[in-house]
Amino acid sequence: MDTGTIITMLLVLGIVWGGFGFFLLRAMKYEKMKSQNGEE
Amino acid sequence: MKQQEFFSSRWALIIATIGIAVGTGNIWRFSRIVAQNGGGSFLIPWVIFLLIWSVPLIIAEFAIGKSSRMGPVGAFAKTGGRKFGWMGAFVVFVSTAIMFYYSVVTGWCLRYFFSSVSGDLFQTTNYLDYWNRFAGTYQPLLFHFISISFVAFVVMKGITKGIEKVTKFMVPSLIVILLILFVRAVTLPNAIEGIKYFFTPDLNVMLDYKVWLNALTQNAWDTGAGWGLILTYAIYMRKKEDISLNAALIGFGNNSISILAGITIFSTVFALSSVDAMNQISQSGPANTGLTFIYLPLLFSKISGSSALNLFFASIFFLGLFFAAFTSLISMVELSTRTLIDFGLKRKRAIAIVASLGFLLGIPSAIDLKFLANQDWVWGVGLILSGAFIAFVLWRYGIDKFRREIINGPGSDIKIGKWYNYVIGILIPVQVVILILWWLISSVSWDPEWWNPFHAENAGTAIFQWAIVLTVLIAANKYIVNKTLNNNNT
Repeated sequence: MDTGTIITMLLVLGIVWGGFGFFLLRAMKYEKMKSQNGEE
Repeated sequence: MKQQEFFSSRWALIIATIGIAVGTGNIWRFSRIVAQNGGGSFLIPWVIFLLIWSVPLIIAEFAIGKSSRMGPVGAFAKTGGRKFGWMGAFVVFVSTAIMFYYSVVTGWCLRYFFSSVSGDLFQTTNYLDYWNRFAGTYQPLLFHFISISFVAFVVMKGITKGIEKVTKFMVPSLIVILLILFVRAVTLPNAIEGIKYFFTPDLNVMLDYKVWLNALTQNAWDTGAGWGLILTYAIYMRKKEDISLNAALIGFGNNSISILAGITIFSTVFALSSVDAMNQISQSGPANTGLTFIYLPLLFSKISGSSALNLFFASIFFLGLFFAAFTSLISMVELSTRTLIDFGLKRKRAIAIVASLGFLLGIPSAIDLKFLANQDWVWGVGLILSGAFIAFVLWRYGIDKFRREIINGPGSDIKIGKWYNYVIGILIPVQVVILILWWLISSVSWDPEWWNPFHAENAGTAIFQWAIVLTVLIAANKYIVNKTLNNNNT
């Protein structure tokens, strides 16, 4: 695999899969906080 | 009318909404468009448009639905003013028109699943002939009926007992199925060639404006942004539910699944194709069925040395495809049903009307692929207008006010900054204008009789059908809006 392919792969997977993982973790964190605070 | 039902949790809402976004477009359209637009060169603009088209519009839909607690007609009238209820009605019409033929497509997936499970799919070597024999019989009609009936049953059960229950099973199952297929595909010999093509950029191709426009249209069609479907599910969000973080999760989740499916299909095609893989992966076939219903069954017949395993992989692929289509179809039926409920009908009566019309008006698409292709063309492009209308009502309300009061209102986990004003106020309208102009110019160039409304896929047929619908809806605006808002005592 050449450098361009590797950079594109890292960029696309990093943003899309990484972004999804990031937002999922944030949502889990906020849900945990809400349940600890007794909110629904 | 008092809001009665809500999704039971944040995760139930997110799963159901991912069910809207993830449809057959993530699996067959995405791979075909990537192949036709230079692989990695396409992915970069596709990611950019996720950020400047899909996520902002998903945020807008969530916020409009949550704040108005009404389907698109009432929501548009409340947010943008009574004069603009017809825009919401157009959004409803476009998604409903898509629902008519999407039920047929869902039926195809179900039929191919049964064919795989029974082993019938591998009794042939000529898959084009196999497809033609299926498409030329009464079977598409039968499976269209089964699909719309099953969806009607789910929607009739309501939000928590119907939609939530089914999507909680189907969406995670679809992801597991895709992961199993992904692992099998990337471990095939020569799969790396497919992955390389999928990610290799070509600067010359990237400078071609068509690649950017295709990346935008793929985002518009694929994420469900601008369809009014997410707006409809947002009606059932709990009061203190977040908007922006959920919207980002859905946009990124949808595109993550597209990448998963894309790598799977590219790896499989490059590993198993005995002829030119690129020609095979980018072929459209009748009504864009080529890759999925004609070529992939051939590849599944040789995905391993064991015929039982081959049948297993083909079966779970078509089951996954059916789940993807079914969960999107549910949302389309719920959108039309909710619109009738806002009109004053009870859910049972509304769903009976929607399902009956859905079956009857889907019949032409079930028996004639040219008709299906025409409807896919006309209303698929119509979605761009739907997206523009959503941006318009935000502008009418005041984008900054909308952002501060509704998007960043009670329950928001993250606050959206002023960048949102520029994206909705400038970038979305610019994208719409460029997209419509490009579409007009290119459709004029490929059909000398571009004005002829009786051609299957040209500018004339789309403009003609839009004009009829828009004229009727604008003329009936006062009646539609009064009936909807007065019934809801607003």
